[in-house]
Amino acid sequence: MKRLASWSVKRPAPWSVKRPAPWSALKLLVACIYLFMLGPILITAAVAFNQDNRSYFPPRGFSLRWWYAAFGPQWMQPLVFSLELATLVALISAAAGVPLAFAFQRYNFPGKSLVRAITLGPLILPSLVTGIALLQFLSLVGLGRWMGFWALLIGHVVICLPFSVRTVAISLAAMPGNLEPAAASLGATPLAVLRHVTLPLAIPGMFAGMIFAFIHSFDDVNLSLFIARPGERPLTVAILSFLEFGFAPTLAAVSILSMLIPLALVALFGRFVGIGEFLYQEAGNG
Amino acid sequence: MVEPALRLAALTKRFGALIAVDAIDLAVAQGEFVTLLGPSGCGKTTTLNMIAGFITPDAGSIRLHGKAVEPLPPFRRDLGLVFQDYALFPHMTVAENVGFGLRMRRVPRGEIAQRVAQALDLVQLTGLDQRRPSQLSGGQRQRVALARALVIQPAMLLLDEPLSNLDLKLREEMRMEISALQQRLGIATVFVTHDQAEALTMSDRIAVMRQGRIEQIGTPNDIYERPTTRFVAGFIGTANLIESREGVIVIRPERLKLCPPGQEPPDVRCWPARVERVVYLGARLELRLRIADSTQLLAETVNDGGATWSTGDMATAWFRPEDAWVVAKE
Repeated sequence: MKRLASWSVKRPAPWSVKRPAPWSALKLLVACIYLFMLGPILITAAVAFNQDNRSYFPPRGFSLRWWYAAFGPQWMQPLVFSLELATLVALISAAAGVPLAFAFQRYNFPGKSLVRAITLGPLILPSLVTGIALLQFLSLVGLGRWMGFWALLIGHVVICLPFSVRTVAISLAAMPGNLEPAAASLGATPLAVLRHVTLPLAIPGMFAGMIFAFIHSFDDVNLSLFIARPGERPLTVAILSFLEFGFAPTLAAVSILSMLIPLALVALFGRFVGIGEFLYQEAGNG
Repeated sequence: MVEPALRLAALTKRFGALIAVDAIDLAVAQGEFVTLLGPSGCGKTTTLNMIAGFITPDAGSIRLHGKAVEPLPPFRRDLGLVFQDYALFPHMTVAENVGFGLRMRRVPRGEIAQRVAQALDLVQLTGLDQRRPSQLSGGQRQRVALARALVIQPAMLLLDEPLSNLDLKLREEMRMEISALQQRLGIATVFVTHDQAEALTMSDRIAVMRQGRIEQIGTPNDIYERPTTRFVAGFIGTANLIESREGVIVIRPERLKLCPPGQEPPDVRCWPARVERVVYLGARLELRLRIADSTQLLAETVNDGGATWSTGDMATAWFRPEDAWVVAKE
């Protein structure tokens, strides 16, 4: 607000004096945007309650049979596979992300920019490319038998690591510069400073990174498509292959289910750890 | 002879080609409050950081109570530090912040609780021990930082511009409070600031720094009444600097008198002057004058209902010889 005020003093801002569009128009626009974003999800949710074997909207009749199907082994197996994979990916990304973020944020070493580019690269590289590259590489070095779970784990860590490195780096950068000297002046050895000050303050970033990594892994289809194999398929790939037979209400139920899981996770973690600033950019107040 | 609490000898730090601190000597007696005062970049903060152990000096020595501390890392120096931004740990409560230094010293839990309570009492924060720093006002944070630095009973206290983030009224209150606390505890203190009012009101002695050197050191009275260089005269308070044959004459505005032409007392130095502007400050009046060689002078008079001046008046500006002094031209 302050910045806005000083800005408008320097330069006359005609829109603030004579507002061409009233607030109600802005509200309507925002409502439209939300409808556009949420509408398809609501329709999908409704479709999952159809009685017939077709995806009508509005749904005809009311039945829970598609939900029974969604909880059946055909879907539960890839769902559990996806959850296991995403959990492992989140843990490994955090374990590797914290030291990497420290190294990038606090130290200078030869080849730093190269290592950083390689680590953060997958953020801008299409994961499709990463997937093809991994597929080619594993076949070339004769590790084709790693296809499936192990290849997915490697691939997902590669594409999820940047998130956890970034969020930890943000929490390290946001730390007031005098905290560590202050702790040292109070008699804390470098190890004690790390344990009592630096790490506790990096934890929200680490958790935020884990959540991003989990969601990114859980949602990924581009990379998984190339390196999954029967029996070791994440949910997204299972949904995609099922789609070849047309859209059935089961899919609607499965989709809603796969949307609720990360949502619940964010809500749960957001309650216990302050990750709000990473998700919504609320300024942390020290 | 009693060892001083702190003795710096020929302390030097270079950053590349820049000499940040240039062979300074300084002794701080037990219980003394010494301020390092100067514009930004004068080397005062670098000096403080060398005392604290965050910056390694290039040359010279630092002795705390007679003991050389240059080889010691910051966590072994036993100093209480207060930073400009307070540097409170945001993930700890007030009590945990204050008790941190004791915890690092492996003081038993019960004793920590007791000493933390005492320290919070000392800074008048009793009852706030379970708050987080984010729930405190600026002044309260400042007090927590002070309690945290004092509770370890450090060899000396280092204050790095601790008041500059507070608003004016609170700053004036805290000046008095820190001074009173420091005197009560009798702890040797080095205070870094660029604010001359803080330096004048709080210090036993002030070291005015410029370009890595201590330009003058003395009591607030010495520094204000008898600055030895042109820089010190201009940096502390306002001063009229009049070029003359023997050097630069320094005269404080409140000591420069004004009277109608020809009515000046005998045996004073005087100039004919023209009143260019009268600034009304309520209790005081500020008169901007111009003398013959177009030098501008500033006189400050008490608004006591005596002579009034207005723009364009001709007058005589004079001062008693003992109110002015001469410094080198540089």
